[in-house]
Amino acid sequence: MRTILNLIYKDYLVIMRDRGGLAMLFIMPLALVLIMTSLQDNTFRAINESGINLVIRNDDADSLGMAIEREIYLSDFFTVHRFIDNKVPTEKEIRDAVASGRYQFGMIIPEGSTRRIREQVKNNVTLLFAGDSTVTPVSDSVLIRLYVDPATKNSLRSSLQSSIREYTTQVESRIILNELTREMNKHMMLPLANLNRMKQETVFYTEEYVARGDKKVIPNSVQHNVPAWTLFAMFFIVIPFASSMIKEREDGSLSRLLTMPCSYTSVLISKILVYLVVCYLQFLSIMAMGIYLFPLFGLPALIIGGRLADLSVMAVMASMAAIGYGISVGTIARTHQQAAIFASISVVILAAMGGIWVPVFIMPPLFRQISVISPLNWGLNGFYDILVRNASLPEVLHYGIWMMLFSAGCLLTALYYHKLRKEFN
Amino acid sequence: MKQEKSIIDIQDLTKYYRGYAKPALDGVSLCVSEGMIFGLLGPNGAGKTTMIRILCGLLAPTGGKVTIAGYSLKHDLPEIRRIIGVVPQEIALYPSLTARENLAVFGGICGLRGSVLKTRIDELLHIFGLEKKQKMLIDRYSGGMKRRLNLIAGLLHKPQILFLDEPTVGIDVQSKNVIIENLMEINLAGTTIVYTSHYLEEAENLCSYIAILDEGHVIARGTLNEIRNEYGSALKLEDIFLEITGKNLRD
Repeated sequence: MRTILNLIYKDYLVIMRDRGGLAMLFIMPLALVLIMTSLQDNTFRAINESGINLVIRNDDADSLGMAIEREIYLSDFFTVHRFIDNKVPTEKEIRDAVASGRYQFGMIIPEGSTRRIREQVKNNVTLLFAGDSTVTPVSDSVLIRLYVDPATKNSLRSSLQSSIREYTTQVESRIILNELTREMNKHMMLPLANLNRMKQETVFYTEEYVARGDKKVIPNSVQHNVPAWTLFAMFFIVIPFASSMIKEREDGSLSRLLTMPCSYTSVLISKILVYLVVCYLQFLSIMAMGIYLFPLFGLPALIIGGRLADLSVMAVMASMAAIGYGISVGTIARTHQQAAIFASISVVILAAMGGIWVPVFIMPPLFRQISVISPLNWGLNGFYDILVRNASLPEVLHYGIWMMLFSAGCLLTALYYHKLRKEFN
Repeated sequence: MKQEKSIIDIQDLTKYYRGYAKPALDGVSLCVSEGMIFGLLGPNGAGKTTMIRILCGLLAPTGGKVTIAGYSLKHDLPEIRRIIGVVPQEIALYPSLTARENLAVFGGICGLRGSVLKTRIDELLHIFGLEKKQKMLIDRYSGGMKRRLNLIAGLLHKPQILFLDEPTVGIDVQSKNVIIENLMEINLAGTTIVYTSHYLEEAENLCSYIAILDEGHVIARGTLNEIRNEYGSALKLEDIFLEITGKNLRD
């Protein structure tokens, strides 16, 4: 025990004296979480808060054009522009403006679109009421032209297309019902009320973010991003950790320790304890930043809902996984370069696999299966379950156990490799 | 002479490194008597550092048997670690710690506590002329100061046996002199010293017994006089060394 206390004192001093290393351990993760959350939040807002620029030329001063324009304006997805440089744009100007990336979408509703729909419907209804089944209904299509910036996401384009289709169908069905009423009234003794009155919405839906228990959770980009990037930042401790192990090995101080009444296991236990505190402080500082500083940057505040203790348990277990991984990299890698390159790339891969970059549910099936072997995935699920799904600690403990087993596996690998190195090096 | 009782007994020691067909140590048998300064000499790649690393428990031998102060190297390593001190070839200190902090850590690990540790650190810093720089980070030490502190770190717990792997390499004459003089005093106080060096004149003055290793074999052993008698009494140790190891470069 005295040996470990001495080693802890030494590791504490080594960390405290390395100002650059300390900055890396605390400032960089904070910066990473802040930047990534801000970026993701802006993307989120771009979609939700009229961030997408759409330029429209509506030459149809009638139902269809007005309905489309009004609905797009009210949808909150788009900032609608009717003018370019204070004048109504031509089709070419719209095309060029979208091609240059100034607007994400350009839309042209041709003149007389509603009139053409109305005439077409009228002809078809008249023909149908004439009882001549040999007559083919006239089909004169209306062409709404949509220009799309190639850098715009496909999902946005699809969303806009389906919205236009919905508005068009509404206008079309209103015209059909009007014409049907008019035509039927011609043939009936008693006048029929406008059939459009039948057109009432009868199907509604409600939406609720569901979590365990009675807690109402409204997820936002902060609730999603902070756990993800906190885990990512915590796993990056692998690099300074492995580097400190290699430095100690290269400068001979590890050898000196091992010629004293001090085992390699004691050396590792000391490092685990010291870096565990570092990781936990990292976690606390990121949480504090999320709660208190994010609003100052215009971000929503992180809401942990009194679950700091449960989150802390998961954070400690995630730290153990990261430190265990660092120990195995630091023991097996022969040089700083090997450790730095392998550790950074492997952490990015584990993060990508684990759903830090892209949610697991939208991954291809193979990667969805692979994701369950990433310790970052276990940590992320644990954090999400606590933060946004309101799960209790026992309900998420299995993720923590997986992380502890991963850590133990890494530790045993390191000890075995150290023994092999002593025997065969 | 206190060279009757054997304190290190090495029998048929062999070490193969992975990927090398030739052994680094090939059936070496040696005996180090208690209280002697044992010089382990040889050209580069002869196997000196390998031997020291095995005796300190840092490397496992491929074959052979080693007993240190009656303890088996294979079975009693924790006990051996308590009675040996090691001064490695490299400066095995924490550069971001001060001299006193380094010594407090190493002394604490060796079992020294409180006032005993403090007194011992003060004593050694004074002997080796570092007491005024004890609060300076090792990073800012000169080469000679680092070497002296490297030695102190191996002496803190008054080891029964002290292993020194080229303790004076790359330092000025003054630092070397302080180290050699103090090694002699430490030896007189009862510590057995196993010492490797390329400085043969230094070994000639310091060592009471010498073994010359070459390509993993002991090719000469004995007191300086015994070796001189065998190879020519008028020769200096360096001439004898060149005669028996040859003039070819080894690395």
